Amino acid sequence: MEVRKLQNYINGEWVDSESNELEEARNPAWDKLLCHVSMSTKTEVDRAVQAAKDAFPEWRDTPPVARSRYLHRLIELMEERFDELSRVQTTEHGKTIDESRGETRRAIEMVEVASGIPSLMQGSNLEDIAIGIDEYAIYQPLGVFCCLTPFNFPFMVPLWFLPFAIACGNTFIVKPSPRTPMSQVELFKLFDEMGLPPGVVNLVNGATDVANYLMEHPDIQGVTFVGSTPVGRIVYRKCGETGKRVIAQCGAKNFIVIMPDADLDNSMASLMSSFFGNTGQRCLSGANALVVGDDVFYKRFVDKFVETAASIRVGDGLDESVQMGPLQNAASKQGVSRVIERGVKEGAKLTLDGRKLNLVGDVPETCFLNPTVFENVTPDMSLAREEIFGPVASILRAKDLDEAIKIIHGNSYGNAGSIFTNSGKWARQFQHDVEVGNVGINIGVVAPMAFFPFSGRKDSFFGVTHGQGRDVIRFFTETKVVIQRWF
Amino acid sequence: MKLRTMAAVMSFVSKIENDSAKFYQNYASKYPEIGETFSSFIKENKRNEKGIKHTYFGVITDTIEACYSFEGLDTDNYEFDIDLAPGPTLADALKMALEMEDKIERFYLKAAELSHSLMADVPRAFKRVGQKREDRKLKLQFLLEKVS
Repeated sequence: MEVRKLQNYINGEWVDSESNELEEARNPAWDKLLCHVSMSTKTEVDRAVQAAKDAFPEWRDTPPVARSRYLHRLIELMEERFDELSRVQTTEHGKTIDESRGETRRAIEMVEVASGIPSLMQGSNLEDIAIGIDEYAIYQPLGVFCCLTPFNFPFMVPLWFLPFAIACGNTFIVKPSPRTPMSQVELFKLFDEMGLPPGVVNLVNGATDVANYLMEHPDIQGVTFVGSTPVGRIVYRKCGETGKRVIAQCGAKNFIVIMPDADLDNSMASLMSSFFGNTGQRCLSGANALVVGDDVFYKRFVDKFVETAASIRVGDGLDESVQMGPLQNAASKQGVSRVIERGVKEGAKLTLDGRKLNLVGDVPETCFLNPTVFENVTPDMSLAREEIFGPVASILRAKDLDEAIKIIHGNSYGNAGSIFTNSGKWARQFQHDVEVGNVGINIGVVAPMAFFPFSGRKDSFFGVTHGQGRDVIRFFTETKVVIQRWF
Repeated sequence: MKLRTMAAVMSFVSKIENDSAKFYQNYASKYPEIGETFSSFIKENKRNEKGIKHTYFGVITDTIEACYSFEGLDTDNYEFDIDLAPGPTLADALKMALEMEDKIERFYLKAAELSHSLMADVPRAFKRVGQKREDRKLKLQFLLEKVS
């Protein structure tokens, strides 16, 4: 059977790429080829940018309430296809069907919030700044924006930006990850069906070359990026050189502080989701469990944590009995396996070795690892410092909360941090002092809702305003101040 | 079969609501004296399934609760037959309905208890449907006493 080659969506049409350079997108659970992805040419990127540029004047003049109605229609279509969209994500990424449904839900939430643009985009005014003179500020769209997206949330992440961008009156280009490009194709089928004017949204498949060309393109006003910190630095620098706005949401090494009064029974499900959800492939994953307390509490926590992690069922995410899917490709598995080897060499204690596979069903081992837990990890070890992007938990200890916060501040990342405690005093201190963008109190994965900004600090974020919420409205608009007097 | 994920629990919710609706469908036509009550149960089953799924699909998010793990929920404890032995009396059907509803009620209440640390919406939906089952049992008991 012929494997399909994904098309680009440019100026309201599905078009074949002229490129003969292809990459494969594979189902990681069964190690099967799903489709070929074209590495689009510069000419094709130019066409997409031109289409978006041409569509901009009419789109920006479309009243916000009318733009919002397109988003309402999109919400309806997404709800109708909810399970179908979720299954595509599991097929191309490997995550469990529950996780994909969660991703779809969050994606819809983004569109719902963006559809409130007639309120969100309102400016401000002050009558009589001097007698007979009024001043007001309005927010205007800028033109063409693009999004460079990661493989780990292939459906949702572009929607952190796209609905807000077009709701503000901009036009948009998505370059999906070549590893997980299919769910964006499904999304663009919905755009096509809902009759969005040609050129308002465009999809160009490709990899680094396409991303570089978009960042260099003079007609692109701004770039949104979600991915690793090393690449995020490049994006930030490149966009700075070409005078573009940029949101670069990057890597992480999130600490979860477990205080001695934590309710371990009620916290364990949240902790498992944090460390092993999405197979550890997300920037909000718990990576380092930082346990405060005496040896008795430490043992109680570790016993429960390891026992629960060991019982996680690993297999094909479409199997409803499975709690954790594969890594997204074989290279990721090899990379995480190397980290585990290095952790052992550095002197950490490998309490649970996920390389010893225990899989549900007869899936091939190619991309799978079971949950891994290290103890005796110290802050200087690479296990504690570097982003792993896999199902590996490192357990560290601190004598008190002050030391725990000091350890967190010694890490270069600042995406998220959580504390599990029943003490309001400790929780308040943590919230106040910790230098991370997103803080959880008895929450394992601190994912801001669509109506709040997705924050981040230090090496986890480059830019000024963040994705989502009012921050992203400011990103996609420019302020214009008007002072008026009538004689 | 152990139910470990919310997806598996949701599939089981569909199964028990549909299976028990089938049971009531079979006997609503056979025994006109309880037809109205059984027909109302069938309608309520549809609402229950829809309501729980609406709650689940409404609050599940990419991160906070997506891979919530259940421990201790086994379908073996809640399976029921919907076929009566040949030649049943109305009292047999009502007794069977009572047993079935008891299992369904226990399932929902256990699911609510085990998902206590999940977002509150879902356990609350389980509990609400479980409690409705208690009302249904009272109605069935009343009918059984009438025909016995």
